[in-house]
Amino acid sequence: MPILRPALTRREILENCLALGSLAIASSTPAAAMLGAMQDRELEHRRPTPPNEIGPFYKKRAPETAMLRSPGDAGMPLAVSGQVFNTRADKLSNAVVEVWQTDHLGHYDLDGYRYRAKLPVDNNGGYKFDSVMPGHYPDRVCQHVHYLVTAPGHKPLVTQLYFSTDPVFEGDPDRNFGRDPLIHSRELVRPVVLSGDPKTIEAVVRFELVLELL
Amino acid sequence: MRLSTAMLFVPALLSAATTAKPERTITVPPGADVQFTAISPKGDFIAGACKDGQVRVWTLPGGELRQAFNLQDQVVSSMTFSNDGALLAVGGNRGAVKIWAIPSGTLKHEIKVGENVNALALSPNKTLLALARQEHPAQLWDLDVGRMLTELPAKFSGSLALAFSPDGQRLASADADTAIRIYEASTGAIRATVNDLLLETFAITFSADSKDLYAGGADKVISVIDASNGKVVSSFPKQSLVVGELHGSPDGKLLVALYFDEKSFRNPAPAIVWDIAGQSTQTNFSEPGVTPNGSGFSKNGRVLITSTSGSQLQIWSLR
Repeated sequence: MPILRPALTRREILENCLALGSLAIASSTPAAAMLGAMQDRELEHRRPTPPNEIGPFYKKRAPETAMLRSPGDAGMPLAVSGQVFNTRADKLSNAVVEVWQTDHLGHYDLDGYRYRAKLPVDNNGGYKFDSVMPGHYPDRVCQHVHYLVTAPGHKPLVTQLYFSTDPVFEGDPDRNFGRDPLIHSRELVRPVVLSGDPKTIEAVVRFELVLELL
Repeated sequence: MRLSTAMLFVPALLSAATTAKPERTITVPPGADVQFTAISPKGDFIAGACKDGQVRVWTLPGGELRQAFNLQDQVVSSMTFSNDGALLAVGGNRGAVKIWAIPSGTLKHEIKVGENVNALALSPNKTLLALARQEHPAQLWDLDVGRMLTELPAKFSGSLALAFSPDGQRLASADADTAIRIYEASTGAIRATVNDLLLETFAITFSADSKDLYAGGADKVISVIDASNGKVVSSFPKQSLVVGELHGSPDGKLLVALYFDEKSFRNPAPAIVWDIAGQSTQTNFSEPGVTPNGSGFSKNGRVLITSTSGSQLQIWSLR
Protein backbone atom coordinates (compact mmCIF):
# COMPACT_ATOMS: atom_id res chain seq x y z
CA MET A 1 0.00 0.00 0.00
CA PRO A 2 1.50 3.38 -0.87
CA ILE A 3 2.52 5.61 1.97
CA LEU A 4 0.42 8.75 1.68
CA ARG A 5 2.19 10.77 4.32
CA PRO A 6 5.36 10.54 6.35
CA ALA A 7 5.15 8.25 9.36
CA LEU A 8 4.61 10.03 12.65
CA THR A 9 7.58 10.70 14.85
CA ARG A 10 7.57 9.25 18.29
CA ARG A 11 7.05 12.76 19.65
CA GLU A 12 4.01 13.25 17.42
CA ILE A 13 2.58 9.92 18.53
CA LEU A 14 3.03 10.81 22.17
CA GLU A 15 1.58 14.29 21.68
CA ASN A 16 -1.45 12.76 19.97
CA CYS A 17 -1.84 10.27 22.79
CA LEU A 18 -1.76 13.09 25.31
CA ALA A 19 -4.24 15.17 23.32
CA LEU A 20 -6.63 12.28 22.92
CA GLY A 21 -6.33 11.26 26.52
CA SER A 22 -4.89 7.84 25.83
CA LEU A 23 -1.77 8.75 27.77
CA ALA A 24 -1.70 10.56 31.07
CA ILE A 25 1.36 11.90 32.78
CA ALA A 26 1.19 11.60 36.53
CA SER A 27 3.59 14.41 37.23
CA SER A 28 3.64 18.10 37.85
CA THR A 29 6.25 18.46 35.10
CA PRO A 30 4.79 19.92 31.91
CA ALA A 31 4.18 17.37 29.19
CA ALA A 32 6.49 19.15 26.75
CA ALA A 33 9.37 18.93 29.19
CA MET A 34 8.67 15.24 29.74
CA LEU A 35 8.68 14.61 26.02
CA GLY A 36 11.92 16.53 25.63
CA ALA A 37 13.53 14.45 28.34
CA MET A 38 12.37 11.29 26.58
CA GLN A 39 13.92 12.47 23.34
CA ASP A 40 17.18 13.25 25.10
CA ARG A 41 17.22 9.70 26.45
CA GLU A 42 16.64 8.33 22.98
CA LEU A 43 19.59 10.33 21.71
CA GLU A 44 21.82 8.62 24.23
CA HIS A 45 21.87 5.69 21.89
CA ARG A 46 22.25 6.24 18.19
CA ARG A 47 21.90 3.72 15.46
CA PRO A 48 25.11 3.17 13.48
CA THR A 49 25.21 4.78 10.06
CA PRO A 50 24.50 2.09 7.45
CA PRO A 51 27.68 1.01 5.68
CA ASN A 52 27.96 1.21 1.93
CA GLU A 53 30.55 -0.18 -0.44
CA ILE A 54 33.91 1.53 -0.73
CA GLY A 55 33.99 1.44 -4.52
CA PRO A 56 37.09 1.10 -6.67
CA PHE A 57 38.67 4.53 -6.42
CA TYR A 58 39.64 5.23 -2.83
CA LYS A 59 43.01 6.98 -2.63
CA LYS A 60 44.87 7.35 0.62
CA ARG A 61 46.89 10.35 1.82
CA ALA A 62 44.31 12.87 0.66
CA PRO A 63 45.10 16.49 1.58
CA GLU A 64 43.69 17.92 4.80
CA THR A 65 41.24 20.57 3.71
CA ALA A 66 37.55 21.42 3.94
CA MET A 67 37.52 23.14 0.55
CA LEU A 68 37.29 20.58 -2.25
CA ARG A 69 36.31 22.91 -5.05
CA SER A 70 38.57 25.43 -6.70
CA PRO A 71 37.57 28.93 -7.81
CA GLY A 72 35.75 28.74 -11.11
CA ASP A 73 34.87 25.05 -10.86
CA ALA A 74 31.74 24.20 -12.82
CA GLY A 75 28.81 22.59 -11.10
CA MET A 76 26.35 23.34 -8.32
CA PRO A 77 28.20 24.39 -5.15
CA LEU A 78 27.65 21.88 -2.38
CA ALA A 79 28.07 22.40 1.37
CA VAL A 80 27.96 19.28 3.54
CA SER A 81 28.20 19.24 7.31
CA GLY A 82 27.49 16.90 10.17
CA GLN A 83 28.77 15.44 13.38
CA VAL A 84 30.55 12.21 14.16
CA PHE A 85 29.14 10.20 17.05
CA ASN A 86 29.37 6.70 18.31
CA THR A 87 26.40 4.54 19.22
CA ARG A 88 26.57 5.85 22.80
CA ALA A 89 26.05 9.35 21.35
CA ASP A 90 29.58 10.43 22.32
CA LYS A 91 30.88 13.14 20.02
CA LEU A 92 34.06 11.87 18.41
CA SER A 93 36.43 14.81 18.13
CA ASN A 94 39.30 12.45 17.33
CA ALA A 95 37.58 10.97 14.29
CA VAL A 96 39.18 11.14 10.86
CA VAL A 97 36.74 11.75 8.02
CA GLU A 98 37.88 11.15 4.45
CA VAL A 99 35.63 11.94 1.50
CA TRP A 100 36.02 11.49 -2.24
CA GLN A 101 33.70 12.05 -5.17
CA THR A 102 33.56 12.76 -8.88
CA ASP A 103 33.57 16.21 -10.40
CA HIS A 104 30.31 17.60 -11.75
CA LEU A 105 30.71 15.50 -14.90
CA GLY A 106 31.07 12.20 -13.06
CA HIS A 107 34.84 11.82 -13.41
CA TYR A 108 37.11 10.65 -10.61
CA ASP A 109 40.61 12.06 -10.38
CA LEU A 110 42.98 9.12 -10.03
CA ASP A 111 46.15 10.96 -10.91
CA GLY A 112 45.75 13.73 -8.33
CA TYR A 113 43.51 14.62 -5.40
CA ARG A 114 40.75 16.69 -6.98
CA TYR A 115 37.57 16.27 -4.92
CA ARG A 116 39.35 14.20 -2.31
CA ALA A 117 40.03 15.37 1.23
CA LYS A 118 40.71 14.48 4.80
CA LEU A 119 38.40 16.77 6.76
CA PRO A 120 39.09 18.65 9.96
CA VAL A 121 36.87 17.52 12.86
CA ASP A 122 36.17 19.99 15.68
CA ASN A 123 35.85 19.43 19.41
CA ASN A 124 32.17 18.55 19.05
CA GLY A 125 32.82 15.97 16.38
CA GLY A 126 31.65 18.43 13.75
CA TYR A 127 32.86 18.34 10.19
CA LYS A 128 32.02 20.24 7.03
CA PHE A 129 33.25 20.62 3.51
CA ASP A 130 32.54 22.68 0.43
CA SER A 131 32.49 20.98 -2.95
CA VAL A 132 30.31 20.70 -6.01
CA MET A 133 27.38 18.37 -6.52
CA PRO A 134 28.97 15.23 -7.99
CA GLY A 135 27.93 14.14 -11.45
CA HIS A 136 26.55 10.75 -12.38
CA TYR A 137 29.41 8.27 -12.72
CA PRO A 138 28.52 6.22 -15.80
CA ASP A 139 28.72 2.85 -14.05
CA ARG A 140 26.58 3.96 -11.13
CA VAL A 141 22.99 5.06 -10.98
CA CYS A 142 23.06 7.88 -8.43
CA GLN A 143 25.20 10.85 -7.50
CA HIS A 144 27.18 10.07 -4.38
CA VAL A 145 30.03 11.05 -2.07
CA HIS A 146 32.21 8.34 -0.53
CA TYR A 147 33.08 8.41 3.17
CA LEU A 148 35.69 6.61 5.21
CA VAL A 149 35.44 7.46 8.91
CA THR A 150 37.82 6.13 11.50
CA ALA A 151 38.30 6.76 15.21
CA PRO A 152 40.33 4.95 17.86
CA GLY A 153 38.30 2.25 19.57
CA HIS A 154 35.66 2.21 16.85
CA LYS A 155 34.90 0.11 13.82
CA PRO A 156 35.83 1.96 10.60
CA LEU A 157 32.77 3.22 8.76
CA VAL A 158 32.75 3.02 4.97
CA THR A 159 29.62 4.55 3.52
CA GLN A 160 28.20 6.86 0.86
CA LEU A 161 26.05 9.97 0.91
CA TYR A 162 23.23 10.31 -1.62
CA PHE A 163 21.00 13.29 -2.44
CA SER A 164 17.23 13.42 -2.31
CA THR A 165 17.30 15.78 -5.30
CA ASP A 166 18.98 13.21 -7.54
CA PRO A 167 16.86 13.11 -10.71
CA VAL A 168 16.94 9.33 -10.53
CA PHE A 169 14.53 9.50 -7.57
CA GLU A 170 12.02 11.62 -9.51
CA GLY A 171 11.26 13.58 -6.36
CA ASP A 172 10.32 10.49 -4.36
CA PRO A 173 13.39 8.94 -2.72
CA ASP A 174 11.20 6.97 -0.32
CA ARG A 175 9.81 5.04 -3.21
CA ASN A 176 12.71 5.15 -5.65
CA PHE A 177 15.94 4.89 -3.67
CA GLY A 178 16.20 1.24 -4.70
CA ARG A 179 16.71 2.27 -8.31
CA ASP A 180 20.41 2.29 -7.44
CA PRO A 181 21.09 -1.32 -6.44
CA LEU A 182 23.96 -0.19 -4.25
CA ILE A 183 21.73 1.91 -2.00
CA HIS A 184 20.72 -0.54 0.67
CA SER A 185 19.32 2.03 3.11
CA ARG A 186 16.99 4.98 2.58
CA GLU A 187 18.79 6.64 5.48
CA LEU A 188 21.78 7.40 3.26
CA VAL A 189 19.68 9.60 0.97
CA ARG A 190 19.79 13.00 2.63
CA PRO A 191 17.56 16.03 2.15
CA VAL A 192 19.00 18.90 0.13
CA VAL A 193 18.25 22.51 0.98
CA LEU A 194 18.93 25.15 -1.64
CA SER A 195 20.41 28.21 0.01
CA GLY A 196 21.51 31.69 -1.05
CA ASP A 197 20.30 34.00 -3.76
CA PRO A 198 19.98 32.95 -7.40
CA LYS A 199 23.54 34.04 -8.18
CA THR A 200 25.19 32.26 -5.27
CA ILE A 201 22.87 29.36 -4.77
CA GLU A 202 24.29 26.23 -3.17
CA ALA A 203 23.01 22.84 -2.12
CA VAL A 204 23.23 22.34 1.64
CA VAL A 205 23.19 18.87 3.13
CA ARG A 206 23.55 17.52 6.64
CA PHE A 207 24.85 14.02 7.18
CA GLU A 208 25.48 12.65 10.68
CA LEU A 209 27.91 9.79 11.07
CA VAL A 210 27.58 7.19 13.81
CA LEU A 211 30.36 4.69 14.42
CA GLU A 212 30.11 1.36 16.20
CA LEU A 213 32.35 0.68 19.19
CA LEU A 214 34.85 -2.11 18.85
CA MET B 1 23.47 -33.73 -18.56
CA ARG B 2 21.84 -32.65 -21.74
CA LEU B 3 23.48 -29.46 -22.86
CA SER B 4 21.45 -27.20 -25.05
CA THR B 5 23.82 -24.34 -25.70
CA ALA B 6 24.07 -23.57 -29.38
CA MET B 7 27.57 -22.95 -30.55
CA LEU B 8 28.72 -21.49 -33.79
CA PHE B 9 32.30 -21.79 -34.84
CA VAL B 10 33.86 -19.61 -37.42
CA PRO B 11 36.92 -20.86 -39.25
CA ALA B 12 40.12 -20.17 -37.38
CA LEU B 13 42.08 -17.41 -38.98
CA LEU B 14 45.76 -17.34 -39.52
CA SER B 15 46.25 -15.35 -36.39
CA ALA B 16 48.60 -12.45 -35.95
CA ALA B 17 48.81 -9.86 -33.24
CA THR B 18 45.77 -7.61 -33.25
CA THR B 19 44.05 -9.48 -36.06
CA ALA B 20 40.84 -7.83 -37.13
CA LYS B 21 38.67 -10.84 -36.26
CA PRO B 22 38.62 -13.20 -33.31
CA GLU B 23 40.13 -16.60 -33.94
CA ARG B 24 37.09 -18.31 -32.54
CA THR B 25 33.55 -17.31 -31.74
CA ILE B 26 31.22 -19.22 -29.46
CA THR B 27 27.54 -18.38 -29.50
CA VAL B 28 25.50 -18.65 -26.32
CA PRO B 29 21.70 -18.56 -26.08
CA PRO B 30 19.99 -15.18 -26.36
CA GLY B 31 20.19 -13.35 -23.05
CA ALA B 32 23.10 -15.46 -21.82
CA ASP B 33 25.86 -13.04 -22.83
CA VAL B 34 29.21 -13.89 -21.29
CA GLN B 35 30.08 -11.28 -18.67
CA PHE B 36 33.65 -12.43 -17.99
CA THR B 37 35.81 -15.48 -18.48
CA ALA B 38 38.49 -17.58 -16.80
CA ILE B 39 40.99 -19.59 -18.81
CA SER B 40 42.64 -22.61 -17.20
CA PRO B 41 46.40 -22.13 -16.69
CA LYS B 42 47.20 -25.00 -19.06
CA GLY B 43 44.98 -23.46 -21.70
CA ASP B 44 42.66 -26.44 -22.08
CA PHE B 45 39.37 -24.97 -20.78
CA ILE B 46 37.59 -21.67 -20.77
CA ALA B 47 34.76 -20.83 -18.35
CA GLY B 48 32.27 -18.08 -19.06
CA ALA B 49 30.11 -16.39 -16.44
CA CYS B 50 26.89 -15.83 -18.34
CA LYS B 51 24.14 -13.30 -17.83
CA ASP B 52 21.56 -16.07 -17.40
CA GLY B 53 23.36 -17.19 -14.22
CA GLN B 54 25.04 -20.18 -15.85
CA VAL B 55 28.76 -20.86 -15.88
CA ARG B 56 29.55 -22.58 -19.14
CA VAL B 57 32.80 -24.45 -19.64
CA TRP B 58 34.19 -25.08 -23.11
CA THR B 59 37.28 -26.90 -24.28
CA LEU B 60 40.17 -25.06 -25.86
CA PRO B 61 41.01 -24.81 -28.65
CA GLY B 62 37.98 -26.79 -29.86
CA GLY B 63 35.27 -24.73 -28.17
CA GLU B 64 33.11 -27.73 -27.27
CA LEU B 65 30.72 -27.15 -24.43
CA ARG B 66 31.61 -29.52 -21.60
CA GLN B 67 29.63 -28.30 -18.61
CA ALA B 68 27.09 -25.77 -17.48
CA PHE B 69 26.75 -24.95 -13.79
CA ASN B 70 24.85 -22.47 -11.73
CA LEU B 71 24.68 -21.06 -8.22
CA GLN B 72 20.89 -21.34 -8.13
CA ASP B 73 19.62 -17.78 -8.20
CA GLN B 74 22.93 -15.99 -7.58
CA VAL B 75 24.85 -13.91 -10.06
CA VAL B 76 28.34 -15.24 -10.68
CA SER B 77 30.84 -12.72 -9.33
CA SER B 78 34.16 -14.56 -9.44
CA MET B 79 35.77 -17.64 -10.97
CA THR B 80 39.16 -19.32 -10.91
CA PHE B 81 40.71 -22.57 -12.09
CA SER B 82 43.25 -24.57 -10.16
CA ASN B 83 46.72 -24.54 -11.66
CA ASP B 84 46.19 -27.93 -13.32
CA GLY B 85 42.73 -26.98 -14.57
CA ALA B 86 41.16 -29.89 -12.68
CA LEU B 87 39.00 -27.67 -10.44
CA LEU B 88 36.86 -24.65 -11.15
CA ALA B 89 35.82 -22.47 -8.20
CA VAL B 90 32.87 -20.13 -8.68
CA GLY B 91 31.62 -17.45 -6.30
CA GLY B 92 28.26 -15.69 -6.26
CA ASN B 93 26.91 -12.28 -5.35
CA ARG B 94 25.19 -13.58 -2.21
CA GLY B 95 27.97 -15.68 -0.83
CA ALA B 96 27.75 -19.08 -2.50
CA VAL B 97 31.02 -20.77 -3.45
CA LYS B 98 31.07 -24.04 -5.34
CA ILE B 99 34.02 -25.99 -6.64
CA TRP B 100 33.53 -28.46 -9.47
CA ALA B 101 35.87 -31.03 -10.98
CA ILE B 102 36.62 -30.37 -14.62
CA PRO B 103 35.72 -31.89 -17.01
CA SER B 104 33.56 -34.38 -15.06
CA GLY B 105 31.38 -31.70 -13.50
CA THR B 106 31.38 -33.40 -10.10
CA LEU B 107 30.64 -30.96 -7.27
CA LYS B 108 33.63 -31.27 -4.93
CA HIS B 109 33.12 -28.52 -2.36
CA GLU B 110 30.46 -26.07 -1.33
CA ILE B 111 30.90 -23.10 1.02
CA LYS B 112 28.45 -20.40 2.03
CA VAL B 113 29.40 -16.98 3.26
CA GLY B 114 27.16 -14.00 3.66
CA GLU B 115 28.52 -11.54 1.16
CA ASN B 116 29.35 -11.05 -2.48
CA VAL B 117 32.44 -13.08 -3.33
CA ASN B 118 34.86 -10.66 -4.96
CA ALA B 119 37.69 -13.02 -5.75
CA LEU B 120 38.83 -16.61 -5.36
CA ALA B 121 42.20 -18.36 -5.42
CA LEU B 122 43.04 -22.07 -5.21
CA SER B 123 46.39 -23.24 -3.89
CA PRO B 124 48.55 -25.22 -6.32
CA ASN B 125 47.94 -28.47 -4.41
CA LYS B 126 44.18 -27.73 -4.38
CA THR B 127 43.85 -28.08 -0.59
CA LEU B 128 43.40 -24.37 0.20
CA LEU B 129 40.88 -21.84 -1.01
CA ALA B 130 41.14 -18.11 -0.41
CA LEU B 131 37.97 -16.12 -0.91
CA ALA B 132 37.42 -12.37 -0.79
CA ARG B 133 34.12 -11.04 0.56
CA GLN B 134 32.62 -7.66 -0.22
CA GLU B 135 33.36 -5.22 2.62
CA HIS B 136 34.48 -8.06 4.94
CA PRO B 137 37.79 -9.78 5.64
CA ALA B 138 38.92 -12.40 3.17
CA GLN B 139 38.99 -15.98 4.39
CA LEU B 140 41.38 -18.90 4.02
CA TRP B 141 39.71 -22.33 3.91
CA ASP B 142 41.13 -25.82 4.26
CA LEU B 143 39.22 -27.77 1.63
CA ASP B 144 40.30 -31.18 2.92
CA VAL B 145 38.51 -30.74 6.23
CA GLY B 146 36.01 -28.16 5.03
CA ARG B 147 36.67 -25.46 7.60
CA MET B 148 37.89 -21.90 7.65
CA LEU B 149 41.47 -21.60 8.88
CA THR B 150 41.59 -17.86 9.40
CA GLU B 151 40.48 -14.46 8.21
CA LEU B 152 42.82 -12.09 6.40
CA PRO B 153 41.97 -8.72 7.90
CA ALA B 154 42.38 -5.54 5.94
CA LYS B 155 41.87 -2.30 7.88
CA PHE B 156 38.47 -1.93 6.22
CA SER B 157 36.35 -3.20 3.34
CA GLY B 158 38.09 -6.48 2.69
CA SER B 159 40.02 -7.64 -0.35
CA LEU B 160 39.72 -7.23 -4.09
CA ALA B 161 42.13 -9.82 -5.48
CA LEU B 162 43.91 -12.94 -4.23
CA ALA B 163 46.75 -15.10 -5.53
CA PHE B 164 48.77 -18.09 -4.35
CA SER B 165 52.41 -18.35 -5.34
CA PRO B 166 53.19 -21.19 -7.76
CA ASP B 167 55.33 -22.92 -5.11
CA GLY B 168 52.35 -22.85 -2.75
CA GLN B 169 54.25 -21.07 0.01
CA ARG B 170 52.65 -17.63 -0.14
CA LEU B 171 49.20 -16.12 -0.47
CA ALA B 172 48.76 -12.45 -1.43
CA SER B 173 45.72 -10.24 -1.03
CA ALA B 174 45.09 -6.86 -2.64
CA ASP B 175 43.02 -4.98 -0.11
CA ALA B 176 40.60 -2.08 -0.33
CA ASP B 177 42.71 -0.09 2.14
CA THR B 178 45.24 -0.01 -0.78
CA ALA B 179 47.69 -2.33 0.99
CA ILE B 180 48.85 -5.63 -0.43
CA ARG B 181 49.46 -8.26 2.21
CA ILE B 182 51.54 -11.39 1.79
CA TYR B 183 50.79 -14.36 4.03
CA GLU B 184 52.15 -17.78 4.82
CA ALA B 185 49.77 -19.77 2.68
CA SER B 186 49.29 -22.71 5.02
CA THR B 187 48.47 -20.65 8.12
CA GLY B 188 47.49 -17.19 6.99
CA ALA B 189 50.23 -15.65 9.13
CA ILE B 190 51.21 -12.23 7.78
CA ARG B 191 54.70 -12.12 6.29
CA ALA B 192 54.86 -8.71 4.57
CA THR B 193 52.69 -5.68 3.91
CA VAL B 194 53.01 -3.38 0.91
CA ASN B 195 51.99 0.10 2.01
CA ASP B 196 53.50 2.10 -0.85
CA LEU B 197 50.47 2.02 -3.16
CA LEU B 198 48.06 4.94 -2.88
CA LEU B 199 45.16 3.52 -4.88
CA GLU B 200 43.32 0.23 -4.87
CA THR B 201 44.87 -2.78 -6.62
CA PHE B 202 42.55 -4.97 -8.69
CA ALA B 203 44.90 -7.66 -10.01
CA ILE B 204 47.83 -9.58 -8.56
CA THR B 205 49.79 -12.57 -9.77
CA PHE B 206 53.08 -14.13 -8.73
CA SER B 207 56.02 -14.64 -11.03
CA ALA B 208 56.61 -18.18 -12.25
CA ASP B 209 59.48 -18.61 -9.74
CA SER B 210 57.29 -17.24 -6.88
CA LYS B 211 59.87 -14.59 -6.03
CA ASP B 212 57.99 -11.55 -7.31
CA LEU B 213 54.43 -10.35 -7.15
CA TYR B 214 52.98 -8.25 -9.97
CA ALA B 215 50.24 -5.84 -8.96
CA GLY B 216 48.11 -3.47 -11.02
CA GLY B 217 45.11 -1.28 -10.34
CA ALA B 218 43.79 2.24 -10.25
CA ASP B 219 47.29 3.77 -10.29
CA LYS B 220 47.62 2.55 -13.90
CA VAL B 221 50.99 0.92 -13.39
CA ILE B 222 52.13 -2.65 -12.85
CA SER B 223 54.30 -2.76 -9.75
CA VAL B 224 56.89 -5.47 -9.19
CA ILE B 225 57.01 -6.45 -5.52
CA ASP B 226 59.63 -8.58 -3.82
CA ALA B 227 57.46 -11.31 -2.31
CA SER B 228 59.95 -11.96 0.47
CA ASN B 229 59.75 -8.51 2.03
CA GLY B 230 56.94 -6.59 0.34
CA LYS B 231 59.17 -3.93 -1.19
CA VAL B 232 58.17 -2.40 -4.50
CA VAL B 233 61.31 -2.91 -6.57
CA SER B 234 60.20 -1.49 -9.93
CA SER B 235 57.22 -0.45 -12.00
CA PHE B 236 56.27 -0.99 -15.60
CA PRO B 237 55.66 2.18 -17.66
CA LYS B 238 52.49 3.95 -16.58
CA GLN B 239 49.52 3.72 -18.94
CA SER B 240 46.52 6.00 -19.29
CA LEU B 241 44.02 3.35 -18.14
CA VAL B 242 43.42 1.25 -15.04
CA VAL B 243 44.78 -2.29 -14.73
CA GLY B 244 41.95 -4.77 -14.21
CA GLU B 245 43.46 -8.20 -14.75
CA LEU B 246 46.93 -9.79 -14.88
CA HIS B 247 48.12 -13.22 -15.96
CA GLY B 248 51.68 -14.48 -16.29
CA SER B 249 52.74 -16.94 -18.96
CA PRO B 250 53.75 -20.40 -17.76
CA ASP B 251 57.34 -19.81 -18.91
CA GLY B 252 57.54 -16.65 -16.82
CA LYS B 253 58.41 -14.40 -19.74
CA LEU B 254 55.16 -12.61 -20.50
CA LEU B 255 52.49 -10.79 -18.56
CA VAL B 256 49.13 -10.07 -20.13
CA ALA B 257 47.30 -7.10 -18.65
CA LEU B 258 43.69 -6.09 -19.28
CA TYR B 259 42.97 -2.42 -18.85
CA PHE B 260 39.75 -0.49 -18.34
CA ASP B 261 38.72 3.10 -18.66
CA GLU B 262 37.92 4.62 -15.27
CA LYS B 263 35.34 6.83 -16.95
CA SER B 264 33.29 3.68 -17.58
CA PHE B 265 34.07 0.01 -17.29
CA ARG B 266 32.06 -0.55 -20.45
CA ASN B 267 34.23 1.60 -22.69
CA PRO B 268 36.48 -0.19 -25.17
CA ALA B 269 39.93 -0.73 -23.69
CA PRO B 270 43.17 -2.41 -24.65
CA ALA B 271 45.08 -5.43 -23.48
CA ILE B 272 48.86 -5.25 -23.38
CA VAL B 273 51.24 -8.17 -23.49
CA TRP B 274 54.34 -7.18 -21.55
CA ASP B 275 57.81 -8.63 -21.84
CA ILE B 276 58.64 -9.07 -18.14
CA ALA B 277 62.42 -8.95 -18.37
CA GLY B 278 62.45 -5.75 -20.38
CA GLN B 279 59.29 -4.29 -18.85
CA SER B 280 58.40 -3.34 -22.39
CA THR B 281 55.31 -3.74 -24.51
CA GLN B 282 55.40 -6.81 -26.70
CA THR B 283 51.91 -6.51 -28.13
CA ASN B 284 49.20 -3.91 -27.74
CA PHE B 285 45.78 -5.40 -28.47
CA SER B 286 43.22 -2.74 -29.21
CA GLU B 287 40.24 -3.31 -31.46
CA PRO B 288 37.48 -0.79 -32.10
CA GLY B 289 34.47 -1.48 -29.92
CA VAL B 290 36.14 -4.36 -28.10
CA THR B 291 36.25 -4.48 -24.30
CA PRO B 292 38.33 -7.46 -23.15
CA ASN B 293 36.69 -9.49 -20.40
CA GLY B 294 39.21 -12.26 -19.85
CA SER B 295 42.67 -13.43 -20.74
CA GLY B 296 45.09 -16.32 -20.47
CA PHE B 297 47.43 -18.50 -22.46
CA SER B 298 46.79 -21.32 -24.91
CA LYS B 299 48.45 -24.72 -24.78
CA ASN B 300 51.00 -23.58 -27.34
CA GLY B 301 51.83 -20.38 -25.46
CA ARG B 302 49.78 -17.88 -27.40
CA VAL B 303 48.01 -15.09 -25.58
CA LEU B 304 44.23 -15.44 -25.49
CA ILE B 305 41.93 -12.45 -25.03
CA THR B 306 38.17 -12.80 -24.73
CA SER B 307 35.44 -10.30 -25.38
CA THR B 308 31.68 -10.36 -25.74
CA SER B 309 29.57 -9.07 -28.56
CA GLY B 310 25.92 -9.76 -27.86
CA SER B 311 25.47 -13.50 -27.58
CA GLN B 312 28.90 -14.21 -29.02
CA LEU B 313 31.97 -14.96 -26.96
CA GLN B 314 34.97 -13.93 -29.01
CA ILE B 315 38.37 -15.47 -28.44
CA TRP B 316 41.28 -13.55 -29.85
CA SER B 317 44.66 -15.19 -30.23
CA LEU B 318 47.91 -13.23 -30.25
CA ARG B 319 51.24 -14.64 -31.20
